[in-house]
Amino acid sequence: MEKSNDLGKDSPTEAVPSLIRSADGHQILGFDDDDTKQSDSNFQFMVSFQIKTQLVMEWRDFIKLINESALKMAVRVADNQWLDLINLVVIEFLFEFFQKPSGNDIESSSDSSSREATQSVSISMPHLRLDAERVVLKDEVEAAGNDSPENSGTHEVKFHSEPIIMGGGTDDQTVAGKTPEHRLILPVKNPRLDEFKDNRYNSFKTWSGRLERQLSTLRGKPRNEPEINPPQNLQGETLSVDRYFDALEGPELETLRPQEEIMLPEDKKWPFLLRFPISSFGICLGVSSQAIMWKNLASTASTHFLHISLRVNYTLWCISILLFAVVAVTYLLKVIFYFEAVRREYYHPIRVNFFFAPWIALLFLAIGVPDSVMRKLPHSLWYVLMTPIFCLELKIYGQWMSGGQRRLSKVANPSNHLSVVGNFVGALLGATMGLKEGPIFFFAVGLAHYTVLFVTLYQRLPTNETLPKELHPVFFLFVAAPSVASMAWAKINGSFDYGSRLAYFIALFLYFSLAVRVNFFRGFKFSLAWWAYTFPMTGAAISTIRYSSEVSNVVTKALSLILSTVATVTVTGLLITTILHAFVLRDLFPNDIGIAISDRKSKTQKKWYHRGTCGSAKDAEHQGKTRNSGEKEVRIPVIHPAN
Amino acid sequence: MVQPESKLDVVIIAPPTIEHQEEPVKLSSSKNQEKPSKPSIMVNINASYFRVCISLGGQALLWKTLSEKTDIPPNFHNLFTMLPSTAFVLLWCVALCVLVSLSILYAMRCIFYFNMVKAEFHHHVGVNYLFAPWISWLLLLQSAPSFIFRNKYSYEYVWWLLIIPVVGLDVKVYGQWFTTEKRFLSMVANPTSQLSVIGNFVGAHAAIKMGWRESGTCLFTLGLTHYMVVFITLYQRLSGSNHLPSRLRPVFFLFVATPSMAALAWKSINGSFDVQCKMLFFLSLFLFASLASRPMLFKKSMKEFSVAWWAFSFPLTFLALAATAYAHQVKCVVASGLAILLSAISVLVFIFLLVFSTLKIDSLFANPKSHLMY
Repeated sequence: MEKSNDLGKDSPTEAVPSLIRSADGHQILGFDDDDTKQSDSNFQFMVSFQIKTQLVMEWRDFIKLINESALKMAVRVADNQWLDLINLVVIEFLFEFFQKPSGNDIESSSDSSSREATQSVSISMPHLRLDAERVVLKDEVEAAGNDSPENSGTHEVKFHSEPIIMGGGTDDQTVAGKTPEHRLILPVKNPRLDEFKDNRYNSFKTWSGRLERQLSTLRGKPRNEPEINPPQNLQGETLSVDRYFDALEGPELETLRPQEEIMLPEDKKWPFLLRFPISSFGICLGVSSQAIMWKNLASTASTHFLHISLRVNYTLWCISILLFAVVAVTYLLKVIFYFEAVRREYYHPIRVNFFFAPWIALLFLAIGVPDSVMRKLPHSLWYVLMTPIFCLELKIYGQWMSGGQRRLSKVANPSNHLSVVGNFVGALLGATMGLKEGPIFFFAVGLAHYTVLFVTLYQRLPTNETLPKELHPVFFLFVAAPSVASMAWAKINGSFDYGSRLAYFIALFLYFSLAVRVNFFRGFKFSLAWWAYTFPMTGAAISTIRYSSEVSNVVTKALSLILSTVATVTVTGLLITTILHAFVLRDLFPNDIGIAISDRKSKTQKKWYHRGTCGSAKDAEHQGKTRNSGEKEVRIPVIHPAN
Repeated sequence: MVQPESKLDVVIIAPPTIEHQEEPVKLSSSKNQEKPSKPSIMVNINASYFRVCISLGGQALLWKTLSEKTDIPPNFHNLFTMLPSTAFVLLWCVALCVLVSLSILYAMRCIFYFNMVKAEFHHHVGVNYLFAPWISWLLLLQSAPSFIFRNKYSYEYVWWLLIIPVVGLDVKVYGQWFTTEKRFLSMVANPTSQLSVIGNFVGAHAAIKMGWRESGTCLFTLGLTHYMVVFITLYQRLSGSNHLPSRLRPVFFLFVATPSMAALAWKSINGSFDVQCKMLFFLSLFLFASLASRPMLFKKSMKEFSVAWWAFSFPLTFLALAATAYAHQVKCVVASGLAILLSAISVLVFIFLLVFSTLKIDSLFANPKSHLMY
């Protein structure tokens, strides 16, 4: 457990904004139970405040943080600890933004009474008190067993406690007095760091948390606890695809089967980065394909009767660039800090296809670039964008071909279309740029593998374990490849000839056969991956527009209008749903169960509802079981023997 | 699939008294002497040994094509003229000798050990290699130097002679795939199934050269249809990777050979290397890159020399041939460079295999486990 305290030796004297200071005050209040009443009112205040101003507070914090850091920096430069400061600022800012769990959904496992009183009260206390104990215990330990649920609640609540305005200049001293190890320039950062250092997530961090320790060491914090090696060594292990099939179910392989267990606490919100799946790039796909559609609507002769201006394309394009930047940076942070989680996503049979999504989104951005921004894109851009797709393809298709556990008959699912559609999109972009041979190359590869995939999915082989039994929006991906292929072939050949029409009619047929079954797309839990399923509809609309420019009559124009409308309406509806889930329901990023499955099937058939209570009994079982591989460390379940 | 296996086992045990003497058959250009221990060689040789002949024939075709090309950009032209045509003729003669001797040996095996040949026919890998002798003869036919076939009709007669067995085998094998209960494609499919497809394409290529367009197109269609089916089935890998012994992993390179041969056949039908040919060629190139980036797949098979190593050679040759045709069509530096590179790789691999086989000729023929080639 890192003690981020060396810089805090003289902290209280600086001008700490009252906002931040209030957190300390609140923490300290928590120590004394007779402050409950005050905490109560604070709690009410906090809740209303929090819901309304959470985001605002974040930004305000950020600005205050920057202000403070500037101040500190001025002071610290003299002390030659500027490096620490910069690291501190950067890292803490990042942690603050991405580590704190959002939401009011406190887990049920916390002590209910203290929770009612004030979440901050009961939680701050044990956290601070047991910090030392947590140091000693191993990773993956619910620190001191029974208090751990509250600990995690601590983190969330500590965030909530921020907006409460409470003065108190003595708070810092009290802090200092009670917990000398938490002295910091910015004491409020303490909770976030603590939650970040929640060792249960260590196995998912890069190098099992050693990266963070490295960074902390860089910041000059004294290591006054022994280096804790996570007993569970996930690095280098490859989860077999059977394990994913055994442990997960559902059309997106997201839901845990009842008798399975996961390696991370189920009942609390994980760090944000850990919850950020790669399927978030689907949003970029959805929005950037909309930009292309509006560009085509504005510039194609056959749709001039709609009088669409190019500004729509421009706006959408800028939004999608921004969105892509945000998502990419976030995911990059996840790669840096939680590489193990990224690895597990790569081995997930459905999520692996989403690794194509960033590159396809970039290709869409290049195709949909407004003329006012850039008229002629350089050829080298195409090569740069296609190289990652090429390498990924070599890997994935090679896995299909060479059999083994990831052969196509076993893992085929509609998301595999994402790995094939990239070829066609690249061919489209290349042909638009004027390249000749490269687009044909990717078109050929895409066509061959698309045929294989198409036949396999149509067969719905009994050996196939990933096909959803019911109709799910993922089936719309069927429409993606033929529609993009038709456009690509038209660009390669120069005109929308018979080959393109063939592909286009296939796409149209698939679209209609799914559209008439729209009743069956019900009862599914919303997930971010749904954004990725909207781009086929947009693609079909774009290819219809292209077709209508070739064969121009009322029917085709009407069709292009209808399909564009449907695509736009779908995207808008999805946007609303996303906003709803993000801000009202607050479960836009639920715990990513799919990547946290344990390596071994739990042999017990007993359901265990509450880790905290059944902990010891479970552990006895776990310990008693003979593990089949001697080279692996003992599987540490979520609960470690607390005593 | 237990049944064919057990049959093969029985056959192996059958001739216990024949000692496996190491009586190598020289693969040099000198005449073959048939040794007294020919029975052991006949026992050991199965149709998969014709891989060597396919490779030789393919190389001869490549050298012939390279020495014929005249409108390659001048800076590369010099390289090709360095390969004198006599080298090509010499290679062709070597190929002819080897093929003749191997054919005679196999014919005698058919006569004396017909039950073994039958066992091959019933094996899911062996049956595909029954196409191999005809493929080798067809390739040799195509790569024949121009002074061989003075008489126009002699070429045609030979072609007919060769194509009838191919078509017969086609009917038998393809028909079995979708009619009988025992040998479903989903159960027997393995990478060597593409050999039947290659046979059709090679036949089509040779036919067009004669000027027989309709037969060529017919064979091409046959090949293409079944290629689609086989390609999809193989990619699905319905029965997993346990169908092919690890010793036979080099046959994965057949994935590379088939589209290249299809591209060449379509080119000869169409007249020029158009977009469809390019697409097939690119597919072949991609599959080659995919296999080349997976060296671990072939690790087990590279531990011991076996005739399966020759399965590396002719796909590369076909790829080089297609690349040469592509460079001929698209006259740019990158394409020519690619063609040169692939030809160089093909020649190097071929020479390496030739040298290695000559050195280890005893293990090639007298390997007691060679019956277990499948």
